[in-house]
Amino acid sequence: MTGFDHLIGGFAVALSWKGLLYCFLGCLWGTVVGVLPGLGPLAGMTLLLPLTFGLDPTFGIIMLTGIFYGAMYGGSTTSILLRIPGEAASVVTCIDGYEMARKGRAGPALMISALGSFVGGTVSILGLMFITPPLAKLMIAIGPSVQVVLILLALLVITAVSAGSRAKTAAMIAIGLALGTVGLDRLTGAPRFTFGSAELTGGLSFTALAIGLFGISEILINLENVTQLSVIRPRLKELIPRWPDLTESAPAVGRASIIGFIFGIVPGVSHVVATFVSYAVEKRLSKHPEQFGHGAIAGVAGPETANNAVTGTAMIPLLALGIPSIPATAILISALTIHGVQPGPLMLTHHPEVFWGLVASMYIGNVILLILNLPLVGMFVNLLRIPYVWLVPLILIVSIIGVYSVNFSTADIWIMAISGTIGYLLRKFGYEMAPLLLALVLSDRLEENFRLALTMSGGSYATFLDRASILLVIAALGLFLSGSVLAWAFTGRGSYASEARRARADVVP
Amino acid sequence: MSTRIAGAVIAGMLGVAGAFLAWQASLLGLGDLASPGPGFFPFLLGAVLPPLACVIGFDCWRSGSSLAVQLGHRNVAIATAALLTVPLLFEPLGAPITLGLFGAASLILIGGISPLVAIPASGCASIACWYFFQVLLGVQLPAGPL
Repeated sequence: MTGFDHLIGGFAVALSWKGLLYCFLGCLWGTVVGVLPGLGPLAGMTLLLPLTFGLDPTFGIIMLTGIFYGAMYGGSTTSILLRIPGEAASVVTCIDGYEMARKGRAGPALMISALGSFVGGTVSILGLMFITPPLAKLMIAIGPSVQVVLILLALLVITAVSAGSRAKTAAMIAIGLALGTVGLDRLTGAPRFTFGSAELTGGLSFTALAIGLFGISEILINLENVTQLSVIRPRLKELIPRWPDLTESAPAVGRASIIGFIFGIVPGVSHVVATFVSYAVEKRLSKHPEQFGHGAIAGVAGPETANNAVTGTAMIPLLALGIPSIPATAILISALTIHGVQPGPLMLTHHPEVFWGLVASMYIGNVILLILNLPLVGMFVNLLRIPYVWLVPLILIVSIIGVYSVNFSTADIWIMAISGTIGYLLRKFGYEMAPLLLALVLSDRLEENFRLALTMSGGSYATFLDRASILLVIAALGLFLSGSVLAWAFTGRGSYASEARRARADVVP
Repeated sequence: MSTRIAGAVIAGMLGVAGAFLAWQASLLGLGDLASPGPGFFPFLLGAVLPPLACVIGFDCWRSGSSLAVQLGHRNVAIATAALLTVPLLFEPLGAPITLGLFGAASLILIGGISPLVAIPASGCASIACWYFFQVLLGVQLPAGPL
């Protein structure tokens, strides 16, 4: 079968009533969590992860991915109307989006943001569709030693591009890898760090940890400040942008699609970095840079397109290599594994329906989101009127049931509650949870391949320095350096980390 | 507690956790460099944490301020306590009662809602969740005395 035949098959899955239903539900929930401040795509995905266990893997993944890119769409709404980013990738949109809203131009800002998101999302899906299959074919040939190098590279890049302290990020990675070793050793069957508990022999529940570290800690942080928000409400007829808005935004959308596409492959905070690089590029290339910060529409179109262009390309390392590049894809890797689908190069051979169904559903999801986010924006804005403290018990109840339903064990509720509390404390002191989660997902594979490679090579560490590994390192360094040069050339301010911190500090006091 | 001291304390705890991990891993059998045992990988991770904790602690001490860190917010303390109580009651009392109590306590203590409204509201929410998960999705939740 050719790729085109597979794509047709994928559309048959995605356009079935179940495919459409779960895609719609994912997009709807994604938009809701994107709109509600304090509930980002990660919390949204982890909260609904247990609900997908009873579904066919393709529909489960379609729904979870819908939440991921739906949240990117929804995040712009609060950025524009409230100057509060619904999720991290919408931070930059606050700058000009909110200024436009203050000037009575919230409608065009929302419209351009949705159109840009649609274009960026579509471009990235094309990339996903064309790059993943050949890359997966290449990756089938690599052995365990190259896999080790690949995973170490991903973890190194995550540390390098971290928005916080690199030492703290490295510590979080070490803790994530260590948490992944709890349970039976896969090669010898020896129990590790189980302390005699039968419930820990299967390892720590990823779902419980993810919901605790992301969902619960986020809720606890938000509970410190539960003031009611005042919202600027646009009318439907105000949504239509003027002709100059479109002509100013079109080049920004084109450039941001490429920027998001490139940054999507870089592990770490790529979706956040892509937005401020896009903003800086637009400001640098604009004929009226002085308008930026005072309601320039290109300052909304660029970042919003970029953060959606990341969503598709961020799936490439996940689906072709089995390596999550951002936390949202770590949730997807866990979901795929739970469903018995091993993400990585063999997935396209063994489960083509999942990959192509997902690709097709992303096209459809983009259209659904365009429909959801424009005429129904008023409805989503009304969600912001619900006091946050009313939502908290409901979210926590769903989390508790969700976590319990994975293994039917109260131990998982303990893990969720304790990890949520620890996550809250760590986040208060500037430790990021994303590297921990990515490392947790990769821990098993890193250790298994490391020991396997040594066994196959008769204990020689030279196996990690073969030609394929060196080529891989050079390619990764080249990609990373070109990304850094691009960011530096346009922002002219320094590292990704300082840029991300500055962007957030500019918006969030 | 100032952010400087609190940051250093957290870093210290990371270091201790790393040392504990390395010690526990060493009991598992490290193997050798050519043929690592089950304790080798966690031992390496445990060994990495104390030096990292030193760097973090030093950084916190150097750049931290004497401003007090805001910990123990009333809402956070209540939510945490309520969450930690749930696993104790979940199986003996069952999901509907435990989650109903949890919801009511959260609404009254965090949301500042009158018990006359909070108790029926959380009861309804708990029953709705139970119906959705147990009946519609087939998730077996503990029923307790009900």
